[in-house]
Amino acid sequence: MIQLNNIEKYYANKGVKSYILRHVTTTIKQGEFVSIMGPSGAGKSTLLNIIGMLEEPTYGTYEFLGEDVTTLNERKRIELYRNHIGFVFQAYHLIDEMTVYENIEAPLLYKKIGSSERASRIADLLDRFNIVAKKDLFPNQLSGGQQQLVGIARALAAQPSIILADEPTGNLQSAQADEIMNLFKKLNQEDGITIIQVTHSEKNATYGNRILHIADGVVKDDVKVIV
Amino acid sequence: MRNLWKNKGFSLINIGGLAIGLASCMILLLYVVYEFGYDKQYKNYKSTYIAYTNMKANGKTFSWAWTPGLLSQELKENVTGVSNSARSSYPISLLIGNGENKLKNKGMFVDPAYLKIFDFDFIDGTSDNILQNINTVILTKSLAKKLFGNHSSINKIVKLDNLEPLKVEAVIDDIPQNSSLTFDYLMPWKLYEKRETWTKKQGWGSNFCLTVVQLQNSNTLAQVNTSIKDLFHRMDKDQENELFLHPLSKWHLYGDFENGKSVGGKISQLKIFLLLAICILLIACVNFMNLSTSRSEKRAKEVGVRKAIGSSRKSLISQFILESTLLSFIGTVVAFILLEISLPYFNNLLNINLIIQYNDWRYWLTLICLILFTGLIAGSYPAFYLSSFEPVKVLKGFSIKAGSAFSVRKVLVVFQFVFASCLIVCTSVIYQQLNYIKNKPLGYNSNGLVQLSAEGNLKNLQKINLLRERLVKAGAVTNVSTLSMSLSNGGNNTSGISWPGKNPNTSVLFNNRAIGYDFVETIGAKMVEGRSISKQFEKDSNSVIFNEAGIKAMGMKNPIGKKIKWDTGENVIVGVMKDFVIDNPFQKVEPMILYSAFKDNVSVILLKLNPSANVTASLSKIDEIVKEINPDYPIDREFVNQSFEQKFENEKLLGTLSNWFGGFAIFISCLGLLGLALFMAEQRKKEISIRKVLGASTGNILTLLNKDFIKLVAIANVIAFPLAYVIINQWLSAFEYRVAISFLPFSLAIVISVLIAILTVSIQSIKVAKANPIDALKYE
Repeated sequence: MIQLNNIEKYYANKGVKSYILRHVTTTIKQGEFVSIMGPSGAGKSTLLNIIGMLEEPTYGTYEFLGEDVTTLNERKRIELYRNHIGFVFQAYHLIDEMTVYENIEAPLLYKKIGSSERASRIADLLDRFNIVAKKDLFPNQLSGGQQQLVGIARALAAQPSIILADEPTGNLQSAQADEIMNLFKKLNQEDGITIIQVTHSEKNATYGNRILHIADGVVKDDVKVIV
Repeated sequence: MRNLWKNKGFSLINIGGLAIGLASCMILLLYVVYEFGYDKQYKNYKSTYIAYTNMKANGKTFSWAWTPGLLSQELKENVTGVSNSARSSYPISLLIGNGENKLKNKGMFVDPAYLKIFDFDFIDGTSDNILQNINTVILTKSLAKKLFGNHSSINKIVKLDNLEPLKVEAVIDDIPQNSSLTFDYLMPWKLYEKRETWTKKQGWGSNFCLTVVQLQNSNTLAQVNTSIKDLFHRMDKDQENELFLHPLSKWHLYGDFENGKSVGGKISQLKIFLLLAICILLIACVNFMNLSTSRSEKRAKEVGVRKAIGSSRKSLISQFILESTLLSFIGTVVAFILLEISLPYFNNLLNINLIIQYNDWRYWLTLICLILFTGLIAGSYPAFYLSSFEPVKVLKGFSIKAGSAFSVRKVLVVFQFVFASCLIVCTSVIYQQLNYIKNKPLGYNSNGLVQLSAEGNLKNLQKINLLRERLVKAGAVTNVSTLSMSLSNGGNNTSGISWPGKNPNTSVLFNNRAIGYDFVETIGAKMVEGRSISKQFEKDSNSVIFNEAGIKAMGMKNPIGKKIKWDTGENVIVGVMKDFVIDNPFQKVEPMILYSAFKDNVSVILLKLNPSANVTASLSKIDEIVKEINPDYPIDREFVNQSFEQKFENEKLLGTLSNWFGGFAIFISCLGLLGLALFMAEQRKKEISIRKVLGASTGNILTLLNKDFIKLVAIANVIAFPLAYVIINQWLSAFEYRVAISFLPFSLAIVISVLIAILTVSIQSIKVAKANPIDALKYE
């Protein structure tokens, strides 16, 4: 599904290149649950951003679903966002002025899905995440864990084939974090959604089935998680 | 101060907006001051008055500054409270020359007392014992220079109309432009009586001169007015006209009368300009507030830190006010530069001479007040708003809620756009009205119609016939006729016409004009029935023609062949002419009587150019032939459609001014909107990024951002429309012929304002919409 070939990212400053990523080559298959780990500043988030096409690599090629997406025009990228990729953020990034319901609805509106279909999908998600009672509340009326649930529900609304999560539990207490990670695991195993997450926590990484260790921009280790 | 420099772009927008606003405001104020200064140059202007006559006719009361020649003497001698009084003729364009150096200039005939009432600036000579002798003249400085160059003109002889030798007794400074008195030289009244002998014999029923009156005390005006109201009637039992005095200081601005009472006049236009000036300044201030508060997020931290280290709210407020006053000062300096650059253009446009009175303390005082006012108004909101931030909240990580501050700013933007859209509506209606009047048929064909002023030999009917023959033979013109008044001016009228069946208690006012042969053919007008005055009917001396309005006013059926009485003579109606516009194109055509020109009642010769000949060639032929027949006078000719065009000057001026200042107002409003968009985009950066990641395209984002602004503009339009409707309806009601208010101006206003809003907002927000979403999402 994802094929990264010799990805490099560096910033040139007065002729001195400061590398963030070097020679990253890896393949992620459909249905995998990958955790990217490493110390702060190792380049984890940058790698995730490149996979999410939010940043462009300075060098190397990137194929998504068999298509070269290393440099992509905006229209095509938006097309991918609408149909294939869901983002989950550490800070949830819900839209403060909109209710839970409207937040989940937003990607569906951009995907131009009919209103009845929209209503049924949202009802389904609300139901699944046990937040039906909260649907008319605003994000700031929810706890962090609940907000992240809404964030995930929103990411799932467009029925993406892959979810990219940047420290999804970074702002949460451990009980809530476990809940979220279990949800991810379930989504991965039952719905077959590919998940790539960046995390600091060894424990969270074990929910997945593969761990990429990154340090100083280089993939040091690529291990399978054995349950 | 460092702050201003650090945010150069912001400061530029802010100062630029303020400067344009201030410059527009100052130009308008200069103009308003100029107009208010009218006729106030004279020391005694407060106690000087113009005598007006009220005359009832056609069911209306007409008020004129024309009075009988006997009035001045009577007022001076027999009315208590009057200290002085003088007659003057209206300015007449006459030939005045020093040897062969002859010029046509405006002269006035005045009583010697005239020079006591108005303290003109004497450069040479004094006001004592002046104009006593019949052959004397006072020149203005510029005329003296034109006639005599740099030589002294005192005691030299100039010739009036190639006829009267006049001794120059004094030279006075030029009359300021904002004076209702317009003349280039003054001559004694006695000379007028000698030239126009009829004036001597006129009684109390003939109004032909202007009477200026000076009262001992301006407080007694009401008393004097009551005592002189029926003066005409007391002097002559047949006279029903009433007399009143109108202050000199109100002569120019309050020139309209209804039912014999002053009902304003140019003052209303001036009030509009004053309002415009204030509104533009306010808009500029609103802008300033908007832009300042929109940066508050960035400055909130500064406020927090300052407060945390012990700065009081008061000192913060004064800091912000100081900053805004400084900005407004810089804005003023820039405004001055703009002003100096644009003044010549505006002077040219308004055909006046506005200058900045750098050496007048009042001017500086106003300026300082303006700066302080602007600084205070513009700085107040940001000052109080920013200084109210609580330091803890600010330092912890400040985010402005979409709450009160924002809605105040929205109200300000709505206010700006209400103003802008009002102006768009008004301007377009003014233009529509102008076009409507211009395209309204005049009732005659003004194309290729030339008006030649009849002077010297050309006053003689035989010479006119000679001229006609020669011009037609040369192929320069197709028709020649004469008229007793300029075709594009008002003039004589009479209420002395009676007809069988006339109600003796009503009086109907008819314009009366003497016409030459072929008048109707020459101007290209139409006869409704009967015939025109022509050479075939030699005995046309008692035949008259009416226009349709005249026949209607008399309520006459089958008028041809009917007899009417005019003063003492009896006349026969031989024709009815279709109405044509002579004086005011905005009003209905008044009743008119036309009669055959005899002897000397010719003031213009009308020439219809040969349409198949080259215009320049025809004109030079005309000049050549006229010069041969009338060698003593310079050629004075004009195209009728050009002189007609001048009637629209006031309306055109209003249109141009509201166009310009409306443009400025819109431009400044755009800057304000830009500020708001800047703020909004900044505030919603995160949301926009989230939406993009969720799959929103740039188009989606732009729609999202524009939606709110379009809502604001729509609200502004909704408020503006009834307002604009009321204003423009008021303006239109002054015209009898007026364009119907259509949807067009309103839709124009919507389209323009929405378009402008979208453009302004999009320019700003496209940057945000295009930005990489990760930039906003990465940092927490």
